[in-house]
Amino acid sequence: MAMSILHRITGSALYFGTLIIVWWLIAAATSPSHFETVNWVLGSLIGRLVLFGYTWVLMHHMIGGIRHLVWDTGLGLEKSSSTRIAIAMPFISVALTVLIWVVGYMVRGA
Amino acid sequence: MARFRTPLAVVRGLGSAREGTEHFWRQRLTAVANVPLVLFFVGLMVALNGASHAQVVATLANPFVTIVMLLALASMLYHMKLGMQVVIEDYVHSEPLRTILIMLNIFFPLVAGLVSAFALLKISFGG
Amino acid sequence: MVQLTLPKNSQIRDGKVWPKPEGAANLREYKVYRWSPDDEENPRVDTYYVDADDCGPMILDALVWIKNKIDPTLTFRRSCREGICGSCSMNIDGTNTLACTKGADEVSGAVKVYPLPHMPVVKDLVPDLTVPYAQLSSIQPWLQTVSPEPAKEWEQSREDRAKLDGLYECILCFCCQTSCPSYWWNGERYLGPAVLLQAYRWLIDSRDENTGERLDNLEDPFRLYRCHTIMNCTQACPKGLNPAKAIAEIKKMMVERRV
Repeated sequence: MAMSILHRITGSALYFGTLIIVWWLIAAATSPSHFETVNWVLGSLIGRLVLFGYTWVLMHHMIGGIRHLVWDTGLGLEKSSSTRIAIAMPFISVALTVLIWVVGYMVRGA
Repeated sequence: MARFRTPLAVVRGLGSAREGTEHFWRQRLTAVANVPLVLFFVGLMVALNGASHAQVVATLANPFVTIVMLLALASMLYHMKLGMQVVIEDYVHSEPLRTILIMLNIFFPLVAGLVSAFALLKISFGG
Repeated sequence: MVQLTLPKNSQIRDGKVWPKPEGAANLREYKVYRWSPDDEENPRVDTYYVDADDCGPMILDALVWIKNKIDPTLTFRRSCREGICGSCSMNIDGTNTLACTKGADEVSGAVKVYPLPHMPVVKDLVPDLTVPYAQLSSIQPWLQTVSPEPAKEWEQSREDRAKLDGLYECILCFCCQTSCPSYWWNGERYLGPAVLLQAYRWLIDSRDENTGERLDNLEDPFRLYRCHTIMNCTQACPKGLNPAKAIAEIKKMMVERRV
């Protein structure tokens, strides 16, 4: 039940979060100075926190979405399996988020 | 409040809209497309993190990258439009707020999509 | 906007604390929602103390004990007392279930008893089920055929009859219907899990010849597609049925006929 409303909340957050992507693309297409400004904002502490949050929200919504797609085939709709999948979801999404950011920092260091 | 309509009349309402499965199907279609496309997008962001403007432009200008990014944006924006439509239908029942929000929900992803596509194509064609 | 708080005249206040029975060794506390259409009062929550040694093991037994021994004005629906009629469905300890099959030992602490959520209240624990019943009749829950009637019965294989298992057993208690948030927010246009389960029961009945028209009537952004697989329905069903699965199968049929 909690995972269901969280799927909706993460979806809504992503809806408005696309503005970040659009802003980044416009900056890249405009000029180096605009791009540096966006880069600076996103690279700041608050910027990174927002991006980390956005990554988790994206991963959680994707995992939830895959859960829905599996349900649409008719599988996993029993009380027992759906409860187990719901409990697993936050662990998987946090793990994926951490993985992405660890790789990100490693790439940056290289 | 006295209600003289029979409960069956209330429940039958204006009849079935004769559509709904298309929305459902397209939501699932874009969801499936989103999995590889979003993972590609995330991978791209990880690879490009901390890169200079010149490097970013060079990568985005690559035709393969441009096309996949266009597909990713189209799929994501359509998926989010469909999703938000359901949220508005669920929670907003009073007019004219409902109609205004439904319209804004069509305009926002459309404009965002066109602006992003323009930016990507501008970079790709070397503008 | 969807109403997330109760209107002023529906807000629940603390109610009466009824006297404890004398000489009772084993007391159990019950907090029960009360409202009467005969006065101008807001709803309230009354506290009763039940002598567990003098009373049967189920929540319904306790409610009947309260009505007999403490407060005869307490009003609730009940009939079979064995989980087959569906009358005593109510919200017990936060979950929709049948009072006659919920043991008092399954609840810890004070037992909170409320009517089924987001339904108009007739009195105390009695909800107004007019809309769910109308929704059930709107899906035409009877066999529809155009072929000439056979000499004896409409025949059906064992395999096809097995498809009705898990669907025909529904007792229409509406625990699932009133556990669904989509039904709370859109109850007049969304048919709800109980009704959709019955719709599916007729959709996959091999003897029925009107499947197409049944599906046409569900082809609507509200009637069927307010279901977002929240899954409260399957969690709530006191008979162990699976409305979520039935609805998923309906959606599969809807996609199958157009792709």
